[in-house]
Amino acid sequence: MISGPALVLGDDVNTDELHPSRFYSLDDATVRAGFLGAVGPEKRGIRTPSLASPRGSAAEEVPVGPVVVAGANFGVGSSRETGARVFLLAGVRAIVARSFARIFFRNASNLGIPVFVCPELVAPAPGDVVLVDLERGEVRCGGRTFPIAPPDAYWAAVCAAGGLARYLGLEPVAAGDRAAS
Amino acid sequence: MSTLTARLLARAPAPADGLPKMPPDSAYRWVEPHLVLGHEATIALLIERLRRAGKRIRYPERCFFAADHFTPPATAERAGILKKYLEFVEDEGVPQRHLFQGISHQLMVEDARCLPGAVIVGADSHTTMAGALGAFAAGFGSTDILAVLATGAVAIRVPEAIRVRWTGALHRACSGKDLALDLMRRFGEGGAAYRALEFVDSTDSRICMADRLTVCNLAVDAGAKNGVVIPDEVTLDWLRARDGHAPALDGLGPGDDADYADTLDLDVTSLEPLVARPGSPADVIPAREASQEKLHQVFIGSCAGGRFEDLRDAAEVLRGHRVRPTLRLVVTPASQAVYRRAVREGVVEVLIEAGAMVTASACGACGGIDKGLLADGEVCISTSNRNFRGRMGSTEARIYLASARTAAASALAGRVVDPREFTP
Repeated sequence: MISGPALVLGDDVNTDELHPSRFYSLDDATVRAGFLGAVGPEKRGIRTPSLASPRGSAAEEVPVGPVVVAGANFGVGSSRETGARVFLLAGVRAIVARSFARIFFRNASNLGIPVFVCPELVAPAPGDVVLVDLERGEVRCGGRTFPIAPPDAYWAAVCAAGGLARYLGLEPVAAGDRAAS
Repeated sequence: MSTLTARLLARAPAPADGLPKMPPDSAYRWVEPHLVLGHEATIALLIERLRRAGKRIRYPERCFFAADHFTPPATAERAGILKKYLEFVEDEGVPQRHLFQGISHQLMVEDARCLPGAVIVGADSHTTMAGALGAFAAGFGSTDILAVLATGAVAIRVPEAIRVRWTGALHRACSGKDLALDLMRRFGEGGAAYRALEFVDSTDSRICMADRLTVCNLAVDAGAKNGVVIPDEVTLDWLRARDGHAPALDGLGPGDDADYADTLDLDVTSLEPLVARPGSPADVIPAREASQEKLHQVFIGSCAGGRFEDLRDAAEVLRGHRVRPTLRLVVTPASQAVYRRAVREGVVEVLIEAGAMVTASACGACGGIDKGLLADGEVCISTSNRNFRGRMGSTEARIYLASARTAAASALAGRVVDPREFTP
């Protein structure tokens, strides 16, 4: 079971919005500062007042340990993996979306970020608790229950290993340390 | 299913040893690409991880590594990232001849190894461009590329495919960018998600390779895993000009039994110059219907729109005219080879006369990296592939996407115009 307050985003939220390229860096603090750095008002339903200021960093306003709840085609755009890695750095526990852009889905899964495709998902109010029930294969939020589309067996294996590098034995499996750099 | 994409993936070398056995009920399989495209911005993210794993690049000769994002570097931090990357290239024995020669995707298609039948993976989303030559080419993130470098293989599923067949004749004022924006308009940003786009050119006018490259470049922006043009006489003629010879195309088309998820027949005759409005490459309207807002910058460059043909189209419009002094006209040739040819054929001279600033061949303004970023409230028309919020600097800037011809006419008008209707 994974749970956390909902951080709600819209459809077609792209990587330049999720993580503007000026925050590309090998330094974690710089990468972290760019989280949701250019998500416009039309694509956010989150209680992050600083986002009202377009150039403001949303970092301080993200609830602790959120579950991102998003619409269709989440993470469309660049392959820059900093755009997925920033979700780890921001302490995001899982990303649930109606659908994902292909490269973002791979990047997040490869980094060990739990991602779930939930085609019928309806977003709850920002901050509402989202429960991802892995055993029953469903997401519960906003008083409703939504089935998770079963992942391909390959992605299930990568996810179970905590990411691709661990699945391939390129990085050690360390409990409580999902933040592969 | 014997789509061309399925056939291409079946041609990849046998998977390396040392990989986990693919779960039996998975649709994925391990694929060894012939070529692995990389550049400093995405490869730098995996260098330490490869080192810590105690691994070296398994097949350095398959690496096609460019330096195009932070080149030449605009900040000390980015100089440091580039330095780290160049040391990695030296240490690993990766071929160095592509470094500083331009944008990776353009260099890939200029290279004699980029051929129909090749399987190419790249650490960049616009790797899809090489599909214009009849290759399988798809973009991946750094961890997938880490796996490819360490093991030689990456997990790929044969995607469903959508067949797009063009007929008719393309208007002279239109180019590949208009074809691409037409597809973006039809598919939306995710309409081709996880699928292959397989293009058949049945036009009377024939779509030139430069235009095909732009279409396959933007395939990823419609969500596609790859875009591929079924190789034909245009492909062979282009390869003969590039290499002095052309390969046989046996088996490099879809089978008669190819099973397409969808088919789109498009008569391009009625296509007109298009623009994508700020915020989404799929928010496409005819250029003649664009708003009258004042342009502050015109960018002609990028892997999508910085080829010789783009510069030539722009020069044709700009010849003998000059943009207003307060408008920034930034031109970035997609590669040094493109730059050289544009100098040789007098195109650069025309552009400079028109007021252009010609910058080094690199990603530059397109990725919001350097040399042409936008301030709050500024408006730009660009021949690149993405106009997302904040893409080229300020989140309060507005970016239109268009062909080079439309961008050049708009530069002279100072607002977005249809190049057919605008006479300076």
